Amino acid sequence: MTGALFRRWLKLDANHRFLLLTAPVVMFLLAFFVVPLLSILIVSLWRTESYQLIIDWNLDNYAAVLTEPSYRTFMLRSLTSALIVSVVCVALAWPIAYFVIRYGGRYKLLLVLGLAVPFLTGIVLRVIALQGVLGPIGLLNLGLMQLGLQPVQSLMFTKTATVVGLIYLFLPFVTTAIYLSLLNFDFKLLDAAKVFGAGNIRAFWEVTWPLNWVGTVIGFALTFVPCLAESVTPRFLGGADGTLYGMAMGSQFSATGTWALGAAMGVVLFVVAGLTLFAISRLVDIKRSGFTGAGSRD
Amino acid sequence: MNTTPLSRRALLKGAGTLALSAAATTLATPFIGRAEAATLQLRALMWEPYVLPDMIAAFEAEHGAKFTTTFFDGNSEAYNKLKLGGTRDFDLVQADGFWSRLYHREGLIRDIDAAAIPSLAGVFPTFMEPDYQLLNAEDGGVRIGVPFCWGGYGITYNADHLSEEQVSSLEVLFDPAHAGHISASARFEENIALAAILVTARMGTQDSPRPDGKPFNPYVLSDDELAGVEALLIEQKRLLLTRYQDLGTLNNLMRSGAVWAAPEFSQVFRQLQELKRKGESEANIQHKLQPKEGGLGWIDSWMVTSGVEDSEKLELCHRFMDTILKPEHMKTIAGQAGTSTCVDIRALSTEEERELFLMDRTAELKGLHMFDQPSSPEKWERVWSNMEAA
Repeated sequence: MTGALFRRWLKLDANHRFLLLTAPVVMFLLAFFVVPLLSILIVSLWRTESYQLIIDWNLDNYAAVLTEPSYRTFMLRSLTSALIVSVVCVALAWPIAYFVIRYGGRYKLLLVLGLAVPFLTGIVLRVIALQGVLGPIGLLNLGLMQLGLQPVQSLMFTKTATVVGLIYLFLPFVTTAIYLSLLNFDFKLLDAAKVFGAGNIRAFWEVTWPLNWVGTVIGFALTFVPCLAESVTPRFLGGADGTLYGMAMGSQFSATGTWALGAAMGVVLFVVAGLTLFAISRLVDIKRSGFTGAGSRD
Repeated sequence: MNTTPLSRRALLKGAGTLALSAAATTLATPFIGRAEAATLQLRALMWEPYVLPDMIAAFEAEHGAKFTTTFFDGNSEAYNKLKLGGTRDFDLVQADGFWSRLYHREGLIRDIDAAAIPSLAGVFPTFMEPDYQLLNAEDGGVRIGVPFCWGGYGITYNADHLSEEQVSSLEVLFDPAHAGHISASARFEENIALAAILVTARMGTQDSPRPDGKPFNPYVLSDDELAGVEALLIEQKRLLLTRYQDLGTLNNLMRSGAVWAAPEFSQVFRQLQELKRKGESEANIQHKLQPKEGGLGWIDSWMVTSGVEDSEKLELCHRFMDTILKPEHMKTIAGQAGTSTCVDIRALSTEEERELFLMDRTAELKGLHMFDQPSSPEKWERVWSNMEAA
């Protein structure tokens, strides 16, 4: 039986084999990625009334998301915090990754894997752990009081606390992306630059930075896009004034039961994230970036 | 037909195999039986503080069933879960106030057999018909749920910073003099309803003709009242240290003295009272059940979802409700969750506990507005979003 199947397989041409091999993956993506996304798109064109979804095709939800000041405020807050978090993450990740590559020796991989240790716990636990540091009687304030200084009341439950929490959550992703980029980087190029008279700073900005631009941009994108939809961190750290777009969107599907509006918010977020990725991709010229995963360099 | 002579070795080998098989079957039988019974799952959509691991383990062992839990916070969250196909995912569900009847109206829960739950005999009369009708269907009067725990949504406060006089009014939660020392929950319905009680009291509209023609209900508001609520909540936001997401956070904030007043279900009040008795906290935390403008109240209940169709599963649901309503388990619930119970556990309680858990004050429930469904979730959502973005 198996032999017969194998013989039939051998008789297939390359196109049919390709179709057969990819069909399960395509079906999986259709069922669990495309269909849910389409259902969100459809629901966004209906309306909700007293927790009932009513099939009444209209664009009112999009009009509300795009014109109501509250949703625009949530989006603006999310874009601002995502930008701050991504830039700070890149700024912090670079020296960490650089240090690991240059001085990590045979422990390089171990040091990078160490960055993943916080991921052994859930996101909620990690965020709550931050409450223990930033809270009114958290480690930071206890430390200040030990030094005879006044505790800072406004550390916790602020937008700053949310940003700190998000940096903590996403720094490992950016560091890993930059580390992998630096792993492919030939440091002899720096020696060459110095031979021709470049100082350390000039060699970094004109050689290391541009040749590792792809890793940096990937790290940036890996932080920026998920940050736009973040809801757990602002919920626990952000305080009464810290509602972000993802948090407001999530409550449409749980607390308020206004699913159609939530679906429209989701579609708008999808478009904004897509446009961001498109803009980021325009910043990258794979062939000039030193990225070895793009095939042979000519 | 070819026959092969049976050798001694083959005979011994066959006998040994038979013996081993018999032994294995005998030894495995109890486990096979248990494995088959374990296929009966009881899936509960419930509030986290009510999980009793020891009771659940004993229940599972006794009935050979597997009990699994999914948690929710506000009623609307559970309602949305059920609406999105949850009746197939859950067998038991919890709700409070008017929500049980809404669930029944929408076919999300089914009727239950009170006779199959003998523990109902231990429930305070206040929580049974005719005094309390919300756990009976609106039309035929069939029982749709069992009462479980009850309480208010009063003000827990630090008596070292606020006087009893100050907390006798809801105004204390909106007083700029306490800026930075007030907290409120993240539940949008109760925040709006509580603010609505104060706004309507200020406007003098509680006794005026209501939008639904019924007596005043803070969940049914006119557009003017909602606008007033929005303005009040925006003012309050600047005074809040935070909106607490869970009772643990509020517990820490009140214990540390960072928060002086917060509306809550009185669980944190009881937890901190308990800690003070043990000498583990110095905070002087008290609770005001019903402010002069009016207060909110709730009765948590257990119900069976409409997804439960076969008699065996329904029987198991009845047994679970009967088990958890037994006074010894309700006593544990009270201690663990810090809630007053609908079952009379006075015989198992000290005088101090009787007072702390309002066991002799069940009649006060009648003065509180029951948790309900917002008259227009869409309008309430806009009020809440406008407040959050302000």
